[in-house]
Order: sequence, then structure tokens, then C-alpha cells
Amino acid sequence: MLYLIFYFQVHQPFRVSKYSFFDIGTTKSYFDEELNRYIFNKVSEKCYLPANNLFKELILASEGRFKISYSITGTFLEQAKLYRPEVFESFQELMKTGGVELIAETYYHSLASIFDLDEFIEQVGAHLETIERDFGYIPRVFRNTELIYFDKLSDVLLNFPQIKTILIEGADRILMGDSPLYPRLSYNHVHLLLLKHYKLSDDIAFRFSDRGWAEYPLRAETYVQWIKDLMLSEREGRNLYLGLFMDYETFGEHQWKETGIFEFIRKVIELILEEPYIRFIFPSEAYKTLNYSPKGLSVPTPTSWADTERDLSAWLSNPLQWNAMKTVFDFLKKAKEKNYSWLIPILKKLTTSDHFYYMCIKYFQDGDVHKYFSPYDLPENAYKYFMNILADIEAKLED
Amino acid sequence: MKILMLTWEYPPFIVGGLGMACYGLFKMLAELGVTIKMILPTNEAVFFEIATPEDADFPLAKEENGEPYRRDPLRFFPTFQVTFEESAYATIRETLTEVVLELALNTQKETQIPDEVIERLTYILSQGNHLLQRVNHYTKNVLELAKKISFDLIHAHDWLTYPAGLFLKRRFKKPLVVHLHATEFDRALGYGHPIIHEIEYLGLNYADRAIAVSNYTKSIAQEHYKVPEEKIRVVHNGFTAKALVPKKIKKFKEPVILFLGRLTPQKGPTIFLEIAKKVLERGVKARFVIAGAGEMERELMLEASSLGIGTYIMFTGFLTRQEVEEALSMSDILVMPSVSEPFGIVALEAMHFGCALILSKQSGASEVIENAYKVDFWDIDKMVELIIELVTNPERLRFIQERVREEVKKFTWRKPAEEVFKIYQELLI
Repeated sequence: MLYLIFYFQVHQPFRVSKYSFFDIGTTKSYFDEELNRYIFNKVSEKCYLPANNLFKELILASEGRFKISYSITGTFLEQAKLYRPEVFESFQELMKTGGVELIAETYYHSLASIFDLDEFIEQVGAHLETIERDFGYIPRVFRNTELIYFDKLSDVLLNFPQIKTILIEGADRILMGDSPLYPRLSYNHVHLLLLKHYKLSDDIAFRFSDRGWAEYPLRAETYVQWIKDLMLSEREGRNLYLGLFMDYETFGEHQWKETGIFEFIRKVIELILEEPYIRFIFPSEAYKTLNYSPKGLSVPTPTSWADTERDLSAWLSNPLQWNAMKTVFDFLKKAKEKNYSWLIPILKKLTTSDHFYYMCIKYFQDGDVHKYFSPYDLPENAYKYFMNILADIEAKLED
Repeated sequence: MKILMLTWEYPPFIVGGLGMACYGLFKMLAELGVTIKMILPTNEAVFFEIATPEDADFPLAKEENGEPYRRDPLRFFPTFQVTFEESAYATIRETLTEVVLELALNTQKETQIPDEVIERLTYILSQGNHLLQRVNHYTKNVLELAKKISFDLIHAHDWLTYPAGLFLKRRFKKPLVVHLHATEFDRALGYGHPIIHEIEYLGLNYADRAIAVSNYTKSIAQEHYKVPEEKIRVVHNGFTAKALVPKKIKKFKEPVILFLGRLTPQKGPTIFLEIAKKVLERGVKARFVIAGAGEMERELMLEASSLGIGTYIMFTGFLTRQEVEEALSMSDILVMPSVSEPFGIVALEAMHFGCALILSKQSGASEVIENAYKVDFWDIDKMVELIIELVTNPERLRFIQERVREEVKKFTWRKPAEEVFKIYQELLI
């Protein structure tokens, strides 16, 4: 049997204003309200609303056999309630179908797990609370920001005993030739690790509309055949777990509707529902369906799903990113010590990984991807605006 | 006295040091009774007339003597930067030596421009280089316009306008003064673009007078371009205060130490960064601001942030005129660590805003300013000591700030303008 696990990341950051050096000490707002509202509305139209409708329809039509999972960040939920309540309600509706599992992560989609473990625990706690309050749901599966994972993370997650499963990147570096189709155990044997099959995931998320790609245009039949081919290698009857993990914005935003992405995914799902040996499950169900004991997997240094390196380099490969991130976590610590409750949520919003992603200056293909997602013209400017805001906050912290 | 002024910058269109210097000088010349007809790199064939000091603030665009030009607004060439192509050290040396020998034979009193120079300039300007094309365009524009303008003397500012000046001198048989605000040696920190060197050489040697903005620049012109002593004069820049009452604002708790200028090797921003690093390492609380844009921004930012000192080294990016003044009014100390600075008008501006000064000795400004610490640009440790002394001794800092505010009052454009006027008189009588 091959179990197919769909997991989609739903996230929007609070992008900062073009906050110049001369804005320090003025009342200019740190976050670009207008831009954030504009982007949220645009992506709602192109992705969230049509994609939610499509998946809701497919879940209902399949009578519960089609299942998906989401991780929805706290910053996304705040923006949805603020800018577009119908999007928030649409996710609530989707939850009511019973075909959706929600996954826990850091509320602010941050790299707290790298810089400040106490803050990490706070942010995961805040996310769990929000998901329970907004959806009446208690997640049992965790995914860290951008699938960042390393051994210690599993230890830290012992603070949340309800978490049994972690989603991670099936990076070559850690698998060393092994297949990502077999779940693994964390090094301390506490958590089940489900691996992203990056080839089949990225075929949809990145390559689907790439005219330079040998497989373009990708047909649903071909894609389903690739999935079926995965089963050929297993000769001992062990169940396989195919993790197709991607940004939710793949549907309609990264891949526009004109590319046929919606028709494609609908067809893929319909074809798979006809396959007798492929079944959709929630990530939390992997445990119960295992018919063998998974092997352990040690990940001493962090992996992630970002860029070709699949490490932390998208957010921490240059000193701009490093200084900015270090400073924001320092200030957050100070704000907590002084109990400046009005500054804390602002600083937490500044821990969101996207701010550091915009400061990346890696070249070649990934640089283009970074540029596509950045609201600022240059990484240097992203850094300047961010540091100017921090300088303004610093003065308030010292009052 | 009618002077045809050739310059590439004039506020508010392009505001660099050159533009500011031209503004101050022209305004005062107008007060001395000089009528200025200025040609800028505009797409339209127009010149600007400055007959009274008030005109200097809003020069009137004209197509020929008489009626003002009606169509507004004027479109300027997009700004550009000089890019230094492959170094051609040997070629320049050879070229320069050849012409120098030739010139040594020609000891006539009034400088004549031989046919070869004109031919050479025509050839240079016909080349495909993007920048030279613009110079060529400007030169043609000037030659066309000059037919409709009456003038007694030509005054050309920096190499971009020297070819136009030389052509005019030859065609109209009017004296030519070239003004040297910066040399290619300053911009390139050594040998730069061979063609720019050649144009500077030709301009300085075939003009009737050359004006250097400092003894430092004069010595470069004499050493590298062999300009004869009797032909070159030094006229230091002055300063016109735009903001009448400069206010001091407090943006940061700590003292603010400012670098203000383009982020190019010439201005020494890496030296400033090194100073900042050493001061901060000593545990002294100070805020370092690197104000300006330029090709070295990324490199400097990466270096600064790798120290992991949070917000203690800040970058402003490009500044508008107003932001320049704002930056100066929030700063306590201005460091000008230029590796080679013909003058450095920013030092005078900073004095107006009451900033204590640490100036590189390799600058023209350090020749004339008394109340400034003058340090060789490479002497980082000395500058670190000075900053620490000032920052930890607020009374001394305030005392110096008062002194510079007083001293700057003497740097008006009157004396420089009078000196330029005298040069005009020498050539016209």
C-alpha cells in the first residue's frame, strides 16, 4: 500500500514599511499595512478562496477518502481576520468536512528554534492555543518553519506531549541514498518523522509551469504513473508513505490558474482515488498504518526545504541576515525582561523568517526566487528598513 | 563682463560637490557684476542666464540672447557614473610624455591650440563609449549654441566640459579658463580611464588659466599633467548656507559619528568602518552613520553587519538635499577619511551644522580649516583615539563645536569669487 500525505503551508508575513533612517524617532508605522492588505487580498482571490473551494468539493465528493493537511501560521490568521474574514471562515468550513488535519508550528513562522529555544516554546504554545481556539482542534503533528529540523528539536518538542509526528525535508544529505518513502524515528526514538518527497513535490510546486522543463506540459496521468512506479521498488510488502509537501500558494499564486494547475490537481486526485493500492491519509495516521518498525534517523545539523542547499542558507547565509536576526531576538529578550507588553508582539512579528529571506544575496536560480517573493528592490534595502525599525525600537526599550 | 560657463552640474538638478560649488561661485560672481551664461547637459538647446545674485537661485533658460525660453520643464541627461575600464598605465604614460615634450617647445605667451589637439579631441569624442557619447553630445550642443550667445571668456568646470571649452576657444578666439574640481587621479585612486586623463591633460595645458580648488589638487595637476606654474592658480571653495539657522536634533542617545559621501574608494568609507569597529570594540557607546550611496554599499554592509553590533553602524542609502542637512544636524562628529579629496565641501557644511571635524590630510579642506583634527587617512588608530577623546569628553566636544560654527562664517564665496574675477581681468585686459 502507498499512503499519500498532502500537506500545504499557509502563511503570510507582516511585511515591514520602507522605513528610512530619517523615519527613526517619528511615528511612521513599522508594518506596511497597505501592502499587506493588498497582497492578502490578491492571494485570496488567486489562491485561498478558489483552492479551498476545490479541495472542499473533492473531499465531499470522495466521501472522506480524500484527505489533506494544513499548517496555518498565526500571522496568516491575524491577517485573514483583519483583511479578509471570508478567507478565515472558508478555512473553518473546510475543517468541518472532516477531511482536514491541522499541523502545529511556530505562531510567527520564525527561526526561533535556531536562536532562542524559550521563545520557540512560547511561539509553538501560542500557535497551539490559536488553532484550538479558532478551529477547536488539537494538532498532533508538528512542522517547523520551512521544515527546519535537527535532532535537538525533537528533544525540545517533548514540552508538547501531544505531538507524535514531525514533518521534515527528505534531503539527500540526511537520507544518504535511502528512500524518503519510509518514515523514520527521531534520534531519541520519540517522534515519527515523515519525509517530504522533494522530487514529486517540487514537480508541482516549482516545475509545473516551467517551459524549459523536459516534462512540460505535465499531464495528470503521467504524474499519477510516476507515483504508481514508486511502488515497484518495494518487494517486502512494506507500506510506503509519499509526502507531498508544498506552499498552499502553489495553487493559483506561484502557479497561475492559466497554467492549468487547478485542473491538474483535481485530475490527479480523482485518478488516485481510483487506484486500489494508493490511499490518502492524515500525517497523524501514519503511525497506525505502519507494518514495520521504522529505522532511526540522526540529523545533527539543520535541514530545511528552502533553496537547492536545503539548509538554513536562505535566511542565515550572510552577515546582514545574521546581525538582523541576532538583534531582533536580543531585543525581544530585553522587552520580555522589562515586560514591555506592547513591544513584544511587534518584535515577535519581526522574527518571521520572511524578513531575513528578503536579505538573501545568494546568486543564480535561488536568487531569482528570493527576488520574486521580495517586496523590496534590493536585499540591502530590506536590511536597512529592518535595522532602522530595530533602532527605533531600541530607543523605546531603553526608556 | 560676460562669461560662458560650461558645467555638468547645477542645483537642483544634479547636486554633488561640483553643483554646490558652481552655485556658490556663480552667485557671488553675479554680485561682482559678472553676467553668466551657463550651458548644462540638457537635451534642449538652451543656456541659463545669471545676471543678478537672485538669478543664481532660479536661472532663466534662454535659446539665444534676448527672449527667455518658454518650454518647461527641462529634461536632464540621466545621471551616470564613470566606469573605469581596463587600466592602460603604459599608454597614458607614453601619451603624456609625448605631448609634454611637444609642449615644452611651444613657449608662446598666449596658449594656442594646435590642429593635432583638435583632431585628437574629435577622434576621442567619436568613440563608442557611452560616457564619451554624452560628452560629444554636450560639446556639439555647446558649439551650436555659442553662435547665438555673446561672451568674452569661457570658463569650463571639470573634464566633461573641457573638450567643449577647447573647441570654443579655438573657434571664437576667446580666452579659456578651466576649473579643476577633481582629477581622474582622485576618482580612480591612481591611474584611471586613459581617455579622461588625456582630456584633463589637454584641457589644463591648452587653456589660458587653470584654477585648482586646493594646493593639494594643484600639486596633482603639476606632478601628473605638467601644468606650468605660471598658468595654474589655487582658489579654495567657499560655502553658502542654505539653512539659515541650523538646528541640532537629537535622534540617538549616544553621540553620532557621521560619514557623508559617495560610497566609493576615493571617499574612504572602509576606513570609516574600520574606525567604527575599533571604537566599538573599546566599549565606547557611539552611533556610526554611513550616509550616501555608491558601488561599495553591499561590501560595506556585509563587513559592518559581520561585527554583529546590532544597530550601532547604520546605513542611510541615497540622501536628498534635505536629508543631507538632517543627517548633519543630528551628528556630533564628521569624519572625512578621503584617500584623495580635492576639496571636500561637506566639511564646511558640517561646520555650519556644528559638527566637530576629523579630516584626512589628503584633502583640500584641511588646508584652510583651522578648527579640525587633521590626520593622514591611513592613521586609523589616531582617528580612533580622537573620537574616543571627544565622545568621552562632552565639554570639549561642545567647545569645539562652538568654535567650528564661528569659523565657518569666514568661508563665504566672496574671496574666492574675487580671485576668479581677477583671473578674468588678467585675461581680458
